[in-house]
Order: sequence, then structure tokens, then C-alpha cells
Amino acid sequence: MAAAKPESKVLETAPNLGLLYAKATATAFGRGGDLPGTRLARHGVVVDPGHFSAYARVCRLPLGDVLPATYPHMLTFPLQMALMSDRSFPLAMPGLVHARNRITVLRPIRTDEPLDLEVWAENFAQHRSGAAVDLRATVSSGGTEVWRSTSTYLARGATAPDGAPEADIQVPVGELERVAATWRIPDDAGRRYAKVSGDVNPIHLSGLTAKAFGFKRAIAHGMWVKARVLGALAGRLPDALTVDVAFRKPLLLPSTVALATAAVGADGWDVAVRNSKGGTEHLVGTIRPL
Amino acid sequence: MASNTKPTTRKAAIVGGNRIPFARSNSKYAQASNQDMLTATLDGLVARFGLQGKVLGEVVAGAVLKHSRDFNLTRESVLGSKLSATTPAYDVQQACGTGLEAAILVANKIALGQIESGIAGGVDTTSDAPLAVNDDLRRVLISLNNAKTMQDRLRALGGFRPGMLAPEIPRNAEPRTGLAMGDHAAITAKEWEIGREEQDELTVRSHHNLAAAYDRGFFDDLLTPYLGLSRDQNLRPDSSIEKLAKLNPVFGKGEGATMTAGNSTPLSDGASAVLLASDEWAEAQGLPVLAHFVDGQTAAVDYVHGGEGLLMAPVYAMPVMLARNGLTLQDFDFYEIHEAFASTVLATMKAWEDPAFCKEKLGLDAPLGSIDRSKLNVNGSSLAAGHPFAATGGRIVASLAKMLHEAGPGKRGLISICAAGGQGVVAILES
Repeated sequence: MAAAKPESKVLETAPNLGLLYAKATATAFGRGGDLPGTRLARHGVVVDPGHFSAYARVCRLPLGDVLPATYPHMLTFPLQMALMSDRSFPLAMPGLVHARNRITVLRPIRTDEPLDLEVWAENFAQHRSGAAVDLRATVSSGGTEVWRSTSTYLARGATAPDGAPEADIQVPVGELERVAATWRIPDDAGRRYAKVSGDVNPIHLSGLTAKAFGFKRAIAHGMWVKARVLGALAGRLPDALTVDVAFRKPLLLPSTVALATAAVGADGWDVAVRNSKGGTEHLVGTIRPL
Repeated sequence: MASNTKPTTRKAAIVGGNRIPFARSNSKYAQASNQDMLTATLDGLVARFGLQGKVLGEVVAGAVLKHSRDFNLTRESVLGSKLSATTPAYDVQQACGTGLEAAILVANKIALGQIESGIAGGVDTTSDAPLAVNDDLRRVLISLNNAKTMQDRLRALGGFRPGMLAPEIPRNAEPRTGLAMGDHAAITAKEWEIGREEQDELTVRSHHNLAAAYDRGFFDDLLTPYLGLSRDQNLRPDSSIEKLAKLNPVFGKGEGATMTAGNSTPLSDGASAVLLASDEWAEAQGLPVLAHFVDGQTAAVDYVHGGEGLLMAPVYAMPVMLARNGLTLQDFDFYEIHEAFASTVLATMKAWEDPAFCKEKLGLDAPLGSIDRSKLNVNGSSLAAGHPFAATGGRIVASLAKMLHEAGPGKRGLISICAAGGQGVVAILES
């Protein structure tokens, strides 16, 4: 771990995710060592209204003037990808699984606020099935942090450095028996979200490309499922909140899934997304006011 | 919240309103659905009056152009808003009269003591329009869906023709006459000899009045910016007779055509909502009362076989409502006549001034008389603001209530809105 906070490298534009996936795949072998101390940043990023409305539609979120909790991830994820695809990153990106995502909205963010983004990697941890790493992101407006996130990725079979802490990818939730909604998720859900998010990871695009990476069928993007959960709770969420979800078994496309919700306290929720038939758990999470 | 007391009548209070700026068609709100806009508008009202998590008596709203999946548009919007999810809601649709009709419905339930509070509103998009499959294709698809055997399926598909792929696009036209609303209005304009210049004058005044209202902050507590708009997109503060005179007529034919894209309302997108309540409820919540809803009246004309103009129904509704309230047309401090077309406003006023028309058609001994033009649409109307059909009523009710409140107690305001299908809605507010 780097001792002092390093200077961050400022990018002028968002990196192209397709190119980064290609680069990450081509340079997958021969990686190792500790996490790089690199921080990547972008300044004065303005949300594109066309992109925002396309995102709202694909995630079934209402189109308004405040960013949904998951939207800033659209801005920070390409920077995190740039970090992970770089040769200095110790884990190979193909095979990396998004295991947990925690987002904190410190105050409602208007769609027209210029935003400063910064991302970095930390917390190289060990897990019984491999190693895990946290990709962090912070978003500021006018010099004040308004949003932050931690995406924990799991690399099966990889090894964390000696003495690394245990990875924490569990999100405990209470009883969740009541189904609030049933969603029929079509087989092109991955392609539709990929088009908007730029996350063209082949495991989401088609059965064939998913098989190449060991999945039976294409799988839904976890962050899309998370966004849809927030869409289902629109109007019933606090302004400032933490949404913490664990991505469990992959959601194979197409599927019919059930969203279960339970109110916790005045403004909080526990949620789960499960397969309607078998009950396989795809996502469990908590939503808590700050 | 149901009232436990026996039905009595009382006047519903108008607490305030909220709307989003109106956008021109296929522009700023092109990606917004009716539900998006109505939800945003409700949430703006919730924020303004501290209604978060509150149960209201009901929310009544509607849209004129509505997709069949939006059958419960208002209820769905309430569920997605910050109001309590246990607030009931229903949709109404009376073309351009929707918003005002919704306000009458809510006000009447409050007057009867059936509810203590409610929201009336409306929304429309001409951008995110509900295209339908061609009616022929629809029949083929229904047969295909009902087919049990492969043979039946093939037979059903045999009825398919490529031309059926053309969607049915909603048109601003009367189903029975096939004429656009503007063409109907042009017929009326000709009958009543409404000149081009007076229409353009009325249009310029609408733009100037609306611009002045924005400049003095009149809309600061009536409007919430949305998707990058903080003023009505159609507003042209520098509008002038000279500029309008350059436009070619788009409705009516030949020499006498006077109606242009300037003196007709443009297709637009937007939503509005008004909070109504009993005086007691408003007081208990610590909320203001801007004005009271005194009365409302609808009327309809036979524009198909009867020879009356499509948009002339408010002319008929007005004397009925005035007589019931013992008022004359001159007993008002503000007049809000919806500017569907400049010519419609002018024809409406001319009809009320015409002794023969008032005697023969309205059955009155004397004409209703003229309106002091300086009291007409003083903060602009639809020609400048735009006219998302169902949203216009809420825009007018909230604005007029605020004008009456500013003018002080005991002031009266009159609303007149024409609607497709030969219908009209009028109402009286009082501070």
C-alpha cells in the first residue's frame, strides 16, 4: 500500500471501455505484485442529458433533475476500468467478478452540476476462493464530496499478498419474504445496458461470448439490477443514503426474477432479487438513510 | 382522509400550484414520458408545501394523448412520488378541459366534505406520443394470437401486408370531421370576421405579459425547473406585430386565411398540479389559502351537425354559470380565456357582445357584454406559454389564484377553456 496519497492523473475525456476490455484481455497474463497507487481523475464532468435519459429508460428510473444513486457510477466506472486494465494492476480483468457494491449519496446531486471524479484501488484482500480488491470512487461538486462508492471485485484463483486482510463481500439482510414485484428480464437486457453504460464485457452480450468465459448464458449487469431496484423504490427513498448490495449468483438471461423488499426503520429497506422459480439469489442489499 | 361529518357544502380553497416549464414538441422533454413529467410536477408540489409522506384525499389528473399502458397514469405517478402511497388517484380526460375539470372534481368533493385535500393536475406530451399499430395489423396480430394450429397461424399471417407496418400517429384532428382543430377554428374566425391584425395583437400581448410575469418573479413559487428549462420554451419576449405579420397562414384557405403558427398555440409538452383543500385542513397544515373555487360549468356544442363552431362551447357554459351565481360578465377582476388560438379568444368575446347571438343561441334578453381587455390574460396565456393539453387547466387555476391573492380579498377571477369534441369548461375563483 502506498504510504502517502499520490497525485492523481487527470484525464480529459472518458476512456473507451471497448478498447480497455481488449487491452485488459491481451495483457491478462503475467500480472502480479501489489496494487498500484495510481489515482485517476476527471474534472468538471457534466452529465449529458441524452445519456442520462437513455440510462433512466434502460434502468426504468424516473426521468428527473436529480441523479439516481447509481448514475455517478456511469462516470466513474470507465476510470476504474482504465486503472484495472493497466499493466500495473496485479489482477487479470477477464474473470474478475463484481461481488459487492456500496454507494453513498451524501446529498441529492442535480443533473446540471459539474462533477469532479477520482478513482483508485485499495484493500487488496484474501478470500477463500481467491483474492479481492476494492475499486473506490469519489465524486465532488464545488469542492465538496457528494457521492462515494466501493466496488469489490473477486478474482478466483488469484493470490493476495501475504498478510492481506480477509475480504468482506457479505451484506447481511433480515427476513425477506414479501415479493414486491416480478420482472421478466429479456435476453437482450445485457446488450441494452451495455449500449448505454459502455460496459461491453462479453459475458453480458450473448450466450456465445458468455460461454467463452465459463457462463452457461449471457448474464445481466449487476449494476443494472441494482439500478432497477432503486427504480422500483422511487419516491420511497431518503435523499441521502447508502445502498450496499452483494451480487450473489449470476442472473442468467432471459430470466424471471422477483424483487423482495422489507422496510427497515423509517426510511430504510432490505432488498433481494431472486429467481422466481428456483429462488436462486442474485442480489441482496440494504438501503439506509445517512 | 375521509371526513366523518355529514355532507355540507363549503368552498374549496386553492392552496397553491406547481408546474414544470412547458417545452416545445420534440425538444427538451422529448425523452420524458407523461409519467415522468407528472411525477416530477407532483414532487415539486410536495416539496413546496411539505406534503412528503402525507395522505391526501385524492389526486386527479389526466392526459389527452395517453398510451393504453398508462391506464392508471395518475395513480402510477402518485406511487412514484413522495406523497404517501396510500393516497388514492384517478384519471380524467376531457381534452383540453381535462385540467380544469379535474380541479372541479376535487373542489366538489371538498365542498361536499368527502375529502379534506386533493391535487388536480394534468400532463401531456406530443413528443413521446403513443403510436399505435395500424388497425389492420392489429387485427392480424389478434387473429395470430388466437390461432391454435399452425394452419390457423399461417392463415392469420396471410392477411399481413407490408403497408400495415405504418403506425397510427395521433393527430390533432376531430375524428368525426377529419378537420384539424386549427381548421375548425379558422371556420369560426371567418364566421365572426376575426381579423389577422387583432389576432397578432393578442398574441404579442400574451408573449409580453408572460415575459413580464417571469421578470417580476411571478412564477417563482408556481414553477419548478425541469430537464434544463426554467421558463416556457415557446416564450418570445421580443415578439412583435411586425414579426408575426410575416408568417404565412397555416389554417383556413385562400384570401381570408388569418391563422398562423404565431397566433395559434404550438404543440408542447408539460405538466401542472394544483393543491386544493378545505380551509380547516390548510390552516391545520399551516398552509396559505390563495383563493376559493366558487363554481364550475361545462357545456357542449354540436359542431358536427349543428353548425356551431368546434371551440365555442365555453360561450354557452358561461351564462349558465353566471346566472347561477347572480353575476354578470363584468363582475370580475381577472379573465383567463385559454388561448387555443388567438381567434378563439376573440370569437368568444365577440359572441358574448353580440345581441343577436346571445338572444338566438344563448336565449338571453341582453348580450353578456364586453370584457375589459386590460384584465384579460394579464400574465400571458397559452399562445406564449404553450399548451400541453391537459396541463393548461392547472396552469391557469394556480396562476389565477395567485393573482387574486395578490390583489387582495374579495376579488373574482373567471376561467374559460375550450376543448376538442365541441366542449368547454368555465369556472369562477374568488379571493
